[in-house]
Amino acid sequence: MTGAYGPASMHLGGAVRNLLGRAIETYGDSPQAAGWLRMHLTRFDEPLRVAIAGKVKAGKSTLLNALVGEEIAPTDAGECTRVVTWYQDAPSPKVLMYTKGGGSPRQLSIHRNDGALAFDLAGTPTERVDRLVVDWPSQSLRGTTLIDTPGIDSLSTDVSARSHQFLAPEDEPTAADAVVYLMRHLHSGDVRFLESFHDQGVAKATAVNTIAVLSRADEIGVGRLDALMSAKRIASRYRSDDKLRDLCQTVVAVAGLLAQTGRTLRQAEFAALTELSTLPRDDMDALLLSADRFVKSETTASLSTETRGALLERFGLFGVRLSVTMIRQGMADPTKLSTELVRRSGLDDLREVLNIQFTERRDLLKARSALLALDLVLRREPKPSSQPLAVELERIMSGAHEFAELRLLTALRSGAVKVPEEARLEAERLLGGDGGATPARLGLDPMADPPEARAAALDALSRWRRRAENPLSSRALADAARVVMRSCEGIIAALPR
Amino acid sequence: MALPDAVALVDLALKATSAYGRPDLGKRLQATRSRLADPNVRVLIVGEFKQGKSQLVNALVNAPVCPVDDDIATAVPTVVKYAEAAGVTLVRESQSDSGEPLPAQRTEVPIEQLAQYVSEAGNPGNRHQLTYAEVGLPRRLLESGLVLVDTPGVGGLGSSHGAATMGALPRADAVLLVSDAAQEYTAPELEFLAAARQLCPNVACVITKTDLYPHWRRIVELDQGHLRVVGESPRVFPVSSTLRLHALRTEDTPLMEESGYVELIHYLQRDVVGHADDLDRRSVSQDVLAVSQQLAASMQSELIAQEDPEKAAALIEQLKEAKQKADDLRQRSARWQQTLNDGVQDLTSDIEYDLRDRLRSVSREAEHVIDQSDPKDTWDQFTTWFEQQVSQSVTQNFVWTIQRTQYLATQVAEHFSENGSGQLPELNYGQKDFQSELAHLEKPDLEVVGIGSKLFTGVRGGYSGFVMGGMAMGLAGISMLNPLSAGAGLLFGGKTLHDELKRNKQRRQADAKQAMRRHIDDTTFQVGRDVRDMLRQLQRTLRDHFSSVAEEMSTSLADSVMSAQKAVQTVEGGRATRIRDLRAELERIDNMAQRARALDPVGSQAAFTSGGAALGAGR
Repeated sequence: MTGAYGPASMHLGGAVRNLLGRAIETYGDSPQAAGWLRMHLTRFDEPLRVAIAGKVKAGKSTLLNALVGEEIAPTDAGECTRVVTWYQDAPSPKVLMYTKGGGSPRQLSIHRNDGALAFDLAGTPTERVDRLVVDWPSQSLRGTTLIDTPGIDSLSTDVSARSHQFLAPEDEPTAADAVVYLMRHLHSGDVRFLESFHDQGVAKATAVNTIAVLSRADEIGVGRLDALMSAKRIASRYRSDDKLRDLCQTVVAVAGLLAQTGRTLRQAEFAALTELSTLPRDDMDALLLSADRFVKSETTASLSTETRGALLERFGLFGVRLSVTMIRQGMADPTKLSTELVRRSGLDDLREVLNIQFTERRDLLKARSALLALDLVLRREPKPSSQPLAVELERIMSGAHEFAELRLLTALRSGAVKVPEEARLEAERLLGGDGGATPARLGLDPMADPPEARAAALDALSRWRRRAENPLSSRALADAARVVMRSCEGIIAALPR
Repeated sequence: MALPDAVALVDLALKATSAYGRPDLGKRLQATRSRLADPNVRVLIVGEFKQGKSQLVNALVNAPVCPVDDDIATAVPTVVKYAEAAGVTLVRESQSDSGEPLPAQRTEVPIEQLAQYVSEAGNPGNRHQLTYAEVGLPRRLLESGLVLVDTPGVGGLGSSHGAATMGALPRADAVLLVSDAAQEYTAPELEFLAAARQLCPNVACVITKTDLYPHWRRIVELDQGHLRVVGESPRVFPVSSTLRLHALRTEDTPLMEESGYVELIHYLQRDVVGHADDLDRRSVSQDVLAVSQQLAASMQSELIAQEDPEKAAALIEQLKEAKQKADDLRQRSARWQQTLNDGVQDLTSDIEYDLRDRLRSVSREAEHVIDQSDPKDTWDQFTTWFEQQVSQSVTQNFVWTIQRTQYLATQVAEHFSENGSGQLPELNYGQKDFQSELAHLEKPDLEVVGIGSKLFTGVRGGYSGFVMGGMAMGLAGISMLNPLSAGAGLLFGGKTLHDELKRNKQRRQADAKQAMRRHIDDTTFQVGRDVRDMLRQLQRTLRDHFSSVAEEMSTSLADSVMSAQKAVQTVEGGRATRIRDLRAELERIDNMAQRARALDPVGSQAAFTSGGAALGAGR
């Protein structure tokens, strides 16, 4: 699955697991350290933890629902998510509440409120709740555990503080392996937040585990039908923004509401939309002028005010406009409409990016989290017998080519290493910036056959060797070239002969 | 002309002052007249990035004047005001090297080209160095003097742009805080609102894009709740620019009602323009009343003396005493002068201290931040944070300054309150319409020392280790070139290289700190100078105003004494005629006073009960 560098990653995973095992043995006499390390060893085998973070009302819960394909996280017009909530795959639904200061978790009862889950904290004040863990049987959660977080810049400073604390605790590795950061517009507050997520520890400052999402994309064009095009254009501008390149892997535009509704489209809703689309054009335009008009005005369509209200709730004005237009253009099948809504919402793009950036790098991200945790223990409780562990940690960090790739990728993106523009783009690709699979690295069609890939890889290798050996190349370029060469060699070695 | 009745009254009073031979009273009226001739009522439209500020302006004037784009934001403030014919003027204000303002450059451009100059796309980072763009439009809404100012929302309310917006607040008649119905207020928005309320009493909230969000009523409720919590109660207007523009195109009245603009425009006309007009009327009314009082004073004392010559002596005594008091007020050593001079001095030092203190704590925090990281990695992030901190400190200092100066002005006015002349002049907070943005932090040279020199440093250390090791062994009778001394060389080399790297980082940290401190120094200097200029200006305004008030009082009293003395000497026969004449003259003046009172029924009563209502800043 991890293509060219699968074996190497597995090797890295083994080394890290082995190292953690040794550390647990060494710290056997310190229950706290050993417990911490054991927790991280278990975590190593668990699904990847992806936190969904962002400012208040950026659409975090809606996006989570869209990714899961079910309305499970509660959403509301006002500020809604007030405690950190984990959603993980399990055979049967269950909600556990962990309070601050430890103690055993309490099981909460689950209500369904119009499809979405409603959690009753059983009288516990939100500031005492550390997190909720929701077990939910879902295919989409099998590979990744999703974590919903309260919004940043929330008016109740307490809610904000909890979110900063969770994603960027002052002194320990974070509980999330990766972050999807939602922003409505590029905003100085957002940038500060992304910065605070970057730790200063072992794998210092990598944008590798962050993806930014330009959320609520359907609202960008004030409800115009071409809003999503605009959103995509803005996302691509952000992608080339130096400040953001330094902070996240990439930026994708997603219309969360559209995606959520698209994935959970109901037959009745399709029928209602079809009914609407039979209205004469002028009536339709008058009806869709504003949200209030859509719900309240008298209309020839035989839809009750409640039905229209519910439609608006689920689709948004933009969603209704888009769906009706598509049905008018002959999309007579709910499945097709659902697929088209999801495609247009940008969710597919996001899933692909998540797959390339996070799932394919799962072992690497996991190893990074684990090494961060170990580093913390070694710094906090140094002892003579832990010295070899520190050496080994250092060896993995500096020796593993994956980390070297990550470091160079980050350096290239942040502009810390100056490389000519066209060389930089190629280097980023070869280092796995667009995905770790061999064809993605070589910039080839995914179906390219091995001989073609080999030729391309050899070509790249010789090009970068020339760069490395050219006496006119700057030091930084020559060093970068050697790392890229090593990546090319890895690709060639992994290709079947 | 905004207030024809007020203008007519001022003209009448002006005629009266020349007819009664009191041109000194005319000066104040002239100033009032010229203030009325410029009826601009500035409404500042502020808010975060992409909330629909420009679209709000467009919908208000029903013309696409401010460029609206999904992505690109406004970079330059746009001032929309009334004009006979549509046109755009770009205004570029600058300072000479010594900080004196130079005359503004004004360039006319075709109206279609506006977008090229005011949007981020055509003018990235305000490359054209424009201070603002002025758009003239023939619209009825603007005819009453309403001026709409669309401000850039770039970088949020806490950025250096935000600080520039803050600087424009005291000169604004009203502020509309724009936020869209997508979400409730955030902390920065509420902070901004609270600060704005202290600088400009007329703040209203506009919630835009209600057509798009079915839950806008919830959002409005939530927002009102947040406002109550922080103890603010501004008016809140939910509006939809899309609906208004559509309603204007289709002439659809119910739709216009739904857009929410009817209330907003009503508010702008009645509460903003109306309020400004009320304030104008009030100041005209008070000016004219003061003038008629002074004009009547000498005639009244003459009348009393004529009617009852017995009392004249006592009256003259009284008047002389009053004149003495008025003369005292004219002295440079008068108590109000002292209050003013001491007050400004205290204020200057307090405000400078406050600024230094705030910036010092920023600088201390910044040093701490620099110490914790390597500036070469974190410089850009540091700059953003640092500039925000500085701009926040400057803004807070500014708000405090304005509050303190207003307090000082009322204190000075109190010295005059017993004579009913404690009215404040218009306070002027600097000549510029838009405060210049704060300077940006300069990047120090944070170059990483190249590998080549790293190696050299290593070799240097290694060499000395090699030589030293070799020498020691040479003494011990072993040849200098041997494996042991080579090992010592390597050891020393590694150590030196490590030290050198550490030293380099320390050097970068020191450089960064120095750049940061220099920036703090520059800011302290720049802002300190602006504050001193502003206070000097304020002192001059207050001194001139109250000096002329004292002067007028003294002249009037001297006149009164003289006419009372003259009355005593009048022969018996002429007395009756003179009394009749005086009564007629006094009635005429009283008529004028009546008109002045009618102009501002509430204010003039207040003026006579409390002895001059002190007016706030602005008008």
